[in-house]
Amino acid sequence: MLFMHETHRVIGRHASAFEDVYRDEWMGALAAGGDARLVWYLNHAMGSGPAYQVVTVTACSDGQAWEALAQRTLGGDLAAMASRLDSYRYEVEGKLLTPVAWSALQDVDLEKVPADGRQHELSLYMQDTGWPDAPLDDYIELWDQDYWQHMRKIPEEKKLLDIVACFQVARGSGIRPEAILMQKIMNFSTLGHLLTSVEKHDPSTWPGSYMAKGLELRDQWESKLLRTSSWSPLW
Amino acid sequence: MLFVHEVHTVVGKRADQFEDAYRHGWMPVLAESSDARLLWYFDHAHGSGPAYRVVTVTGVADGAAWLRLAQRVATGDLRMWARHLDGLQHDSRGRILTPLVWSPTIPPLADIPTEPVEHEPTMYMEDTMWPFPGKVGEYIEAAGAVYRPALGAEGSHVNMSIELALQTMPGAGRHPEVTLLQKLSSLPLLIRLLTNDIPDEVTGPDSWMHQALDLRDQWRSKLLRTATWSPLS
Repeated sequence: MLFMHETHRVIGRHASAFEDVYRDEWMGALAAGGDARLVWYLNHAMGSGPAYQVVTVTACSDGQAWEALAQRTLGGDLAAMASRLDSYRYEVEGKLLTPVAWSALQDVDLEKVPADGRQHELSLYMQDTGWPDAPLDDYIELWDQDYWQHMRKIPEEKKLLDIVACFQVARGSGIRPEAILMQKIMNFSTLGHLLTSVEKHDPSTWPGSYMAKGLELRDQWESKLLRTSSWSPLW
Repeated sequence: MLFVHEVHTVVGKRADQFEDAYRHGWMPVLAESSDARLLWYFDHAHGSGPAYRVVTVTGVADGAAWLRLAQRVATGDLRMWARHLDGLQHDSRGRILTPLVWSPTIPPLADIPTEPVEHEPTMYMEDTMWPFPGKVGEYIEAAGAVYRPALGAEGSHVNMSIELALQTMPGAGRHPEVTLLQKLSSLPLLIRLLTNDIPDEVTGPDSWMHQALDLRDQWRSKLLRTATWSPLS
């Protein structure tokens, strides 16, 4: 399965219109076919980064399904809708992601993804994107052995976050080396502590040991705090 | 056919090894199936932009063929090749492009050379444009109707031809974005373009340069030189 990850720089005065088209038209149009679904609609939380940025993730069953969706968008039945979306944003930057072997999320049952805009409470995700200066495979293995394996053992009540998915960029559709973690924030007070506490790099404590080891493979990553819309199919 | 366009920031000390990896690795391995072929291997001409940048263009039959190739790189027989390449480049930035309706075509993948054939290097000007919001359709139409024929007209100020006219596929790069791969056939005319102000008749009210400003005002040109063994030149 492929995950089409798009970051939209939305024109601020058209932000509501942009979201309306996604919710009321785009999501339903994708659901009319059997091979692609909008799965996440996320707003980059204002106050934590750029303004009026939206991240969408669309699941496609395979490469053929992605190509068919792309061609519908460029010159097919979705072109007029896409043109309206274009007029509501400055640009969109996309990449195609595949789950790494140990990712909890591998496939999405497209038939079960809601497309009716049903309401729910909001969720907050921390999306981490890392660019190692070592072979990409080594970085993905570090995330597995020293981060995912550790985090999954933390009791639910103490968890800051749940690692929902880990992706790498499918060759030719973005940056290599790059890998991405989609992490659902489970405890807002712990997040507050993370944001306001002074970093300590004690190798014997988390995140110290992981932080120290991680520096052998990379020192550049970016975290984005993304909040689902109240109708995002996954949240 | 789709086009996988990658810009590689190469480790300067390992530039020769990087080129070898494509010449003796990527190109022949792709030739083992009908899914994909290396089409162009370009060096960004030193003196005209960033150092140690390589641009490769790989043709893939369709979206399914591209994903098969991507999965070979991620987890299959090309994984070790990709790991080797990770040590030869700082990064690569890829996007997947599809031809515009008026784009010239290239030979079928089956006819693309897969053995290094030495030839003279060829210069290309690669232009990438970012139309204003909601204007990409108009821009594509105007570029085909006005710009393309003007390049071949008598008295053209830069002698080049469009080999491919492409736009970036949704989900696989930036949108809206249009890329023109243009082969230069006169070095003196290029030097004249670089060393002189653009004449008034080229920028006047009725000109393409002027009218196209309603559709876009940002683009980037790269001067790319084919390797002497690049399958297409």
